[in-house]
Amino acid sequence: MRVTDKMNKIQVLNNIQKNRTELASLQNQAATMKRVTKPSDDPMASAKILSTRTDSKNLEQFEKNITFAKSFLESTEAALSQVSEALVRAKELAIQGASDTNGGSPREMISSEIAQIYNSVVEISNRRLGDRYIFSGYQTQTPPFNKEGEYAGDDGEIKVQNQKGQYVSMNLTGERIFLGRGMPGDEIQKAPLTVPQSVEELQDYKISEAERAFQNQETLENELATRGPASVGRIQRVGAESADPVTGSQGVNIFSIISGLDTALKSNDRDGIREALEPLDQALNQINLARAEIGGRVNQMNATVDGIERNIVDNKVYNSQLEDADLFQVMTDLNKADTALKGSLETSHKILNMSLLDFLR
Amino acid sequence: MAKIHGLMDVGKRGMAISQSALQTTSHNIANKATEGYSRQRVDVVASTPIGEGRFRIGTGSDIGAISRVNNPWLEKQIEREGTQMAFLQGQSDALQRVETVFNEQTVKGLNNSMSEFFNSFRELSNSPESPVARAMVRDKAKSMIHNFQIMDRQIDSIKSDLNQTITSGVEEVNGLVKEIAQLNQKIQEIEISKDSQANDERDRRDLLVKKLSERVNITYGEDPKTGMINITAGSTAILVAGTSSTGLSTLTTPNNQTQVVYELSKGGTKVDISDQFKKGSLGGAFEFRDGLVNDLKSQMEELAYTIAHEVNKAHAEGYDRYNIQGVNFFSLPQDGSFSLNDLAINKDILDDPSRIAAAARPNAPGDNTVANLIQGLQFKRVMGDGQSTFDDFYNSRVGQVGIATQNAVHSLEVQKNVMDQLHSTRESISGVNLDEEATKMIEYQKAFEASARVIRMADEMFETVLNLKRI
Repeated sequence: MRVTDKMNKIQVLNNIQKNRTELASLQNQAATMKRVTKPSDDPMASAKILSTRTDSKNLEQFEKNITFAKSFLESTEAALSQVSEALVRAKELAIQGASDTNGGSPREMISSEIAQIYNSVVEISNRRLGDRYIFSGYQTQTPPFNKEGEYAGDDGEIKVQNQKGQYVSMNLTGERIFLGRGMPGDEIQKAPLTVPQSVEELQDYKISEAERAFQNQETLENELATRGPASVGRIQRVGAESADPVTGSQGVNIFSIISGLDTALKSNDRDGIREALEPLDQALNQINLARAEIGGRVNQMNATVDGIERNIVDNKVYNSQLEDADLFQVMTDLNKADTALKGSLETSHKILNMSLLDFLR
Repeated sequence: MAKIHGLMDVGKRGMAISQSALQTTSHNIANKATEGYSRQRVDVVASTPIGEGRFRIGTGSDIGAISRVNNPWLEKQIEREGTQMAFLQGQSDALQRVETVFNEQTVKGLNNSMSEFFNSFRELSNSPESPVARAMVRDKAKSMIHNFQIMDRQIDSIKSDLNQTITSGVEEVNGLVKEIAQLNQKIQEIEISKDSQANDERDRRDLLVKKLSERVNITYGEDPKTGMINITAGSTAILVAGTSSTGLSTLTTPNNQTQVVYELSKGGTKVDISDQFKKGSLGGAFEFRDGLVNDLKSQMEELAYTIAHEVNKAHAEGYDRYNIQGVNFFSLPQDGSFSLNDLAINKDILDDPSRIAAAARPNAPGDNTVANLIQGLQFKRVMGDGQSTFDDFYNSRVGQVGIATQNAVHSLEVQKNVMDQLHSTRESISGVNLDEEATKMIEYQKAFEASARVIRMADEMFETVLNLKRI
């Protein structure tokens, strides 16, 4: 084959260019430690990398959500444990007060401690986490209970996403815990467990929520009407067998139990005090039920968090496999490419300098 | 019988031929690096012998022709592959620019800001009362819009660069066709005498044709009688007809696309022939601009619009912190015309994030139902007739750009190899080899010296003859 000087030149330039391109790409890999630095390096992987990155971000957010919900539930739990201590003390006092030989302390004095307990339960029911009242449902900016134990919150359950498409409620409403509304047996309709996932569902949700609020309002009004003013301040009769004769509910109003006990103590009404014992148990039961539910939710969240953390690690491993450069491979290749470039440069010096003219002097 | 002055004549012509040959060799050496040059050769033929009784005696040599060493079929092949090469080169250059727009392997881009936008709604659903969470939603929405608009602007600038490529390509084409027409005329003038060949003019014309076909796809043919070539661009635009040439011109459409038009006759109807260009750098620019770039632009618009529309729909069902029914989160034009430039957060929300509606009922500061609904949109398949989520849609665009770039770069590499091979072959045939020229130089120099010796010898012979009487 006839080889001309231009052919040599083209070949040398092409080879050097090839070596340099290779070297530049390897250097880029070594510097970024990434195998994929632009979509064309591996189009499939680059799309996958983006979606696993989004996944990781979301998982981290879910973890944050759960941590947040857990702290909310934990403060609820702490408050409830105080309520339950207060109820136990109230029961002790009630037992003491029910006995005529009560160690000499007059019922008047016991009553003052019960009044203290009442106040502290009211205080606990208005507990806040940050600037949110934990027992007010959606009315997080309104203290849920006043001194008379009247509820100003609503029955909203704040739902937090803990997994893709799954929600968990992070609050328990004061209505249910302190007033016993929505416990088994009564006619109160509870808030739905699902979260609307589309605008259509949201519109239905808004309608059904309005209906539910209206019906609950009616139930409540009827309840007050049937019971009448005479029953105000009386201890509710509760228990599986002894559900509220009017509403049939198993829930109890903790405030009215304690204030009823107080009244009974003040008026030296031994029967009244005795009657308070069973509802107090009922109230304790109600609180424990709520605490058990919190425990259940927290456990579930812990399990979810474990899963999420595993997922995050898996994602990282997967992403690393997709985009990270194999350092040993890169370094070896880099050495090879370096040697190749040097070879090209050296030989090009020889090939381009050769000419017959040099030998014709 | 041979004559002495005949001998002298042989020597004289020998010297002249060697000189011409040396001239050609020098010409070759001087044009060693000239683009498109074909080495030239002096074809020396023995001159007509004369009859000397029974014998015919040679009378030295003559120059048959000075021809270029060139394979026209190879030239044609180079032209054809060159037009494809320019097409691929343009495409891969432009794609690599598009790729940087969609590249967020090492930096943060739209994918990141989209998930941050939805995550900010998750933060909001954790604490719907918090002004901080609300401000965050607003800021993340802002930065998502910002990212969308940056991409849009980058795509636009690629588009206007492609327009620029077309405009300057047309200018180059016009320059080339003018010169080709001039060369046509010269070649015709030179080759009118059967013996002379317009070697250098032909080389130059071949080169210009190749350059022309790197811009647009052309068909051409040589008129064997005149040696002139006629060139048609695309399928209808006659650029060169003999010694006359017609240029192309450009036109900018209302939606800012540069198109190429051809005048059928002087001052006559202008016809848009842009879609006739399938190859060359202009063909590449057209295909790329009207294909992928326009697609990507409208797909990004579709994505942004759908996000804005879906978020708005949910947001308008909610209630803000003032217990007012939610406004549109993003302000969208009413008439359905949408460009990413128009995308903005509703001014009310921009001024006061408390207007963000997180609740499904009024007077419920802790209600996060609508915030939950909006963040859930990230996982809903609302793009492409319910085929994919926002993320899927965007990620597959990234994948698509990646695949296109990878393909373009690969085919360019293959084409480059083909071109290198062809160029090598051409160089092997037509290129100048200095060793060869040096050898020829020695050869002709010696021949020149020898011819001079012949003349001296003849001179001495004359002397001998003239001195015959004196002895």
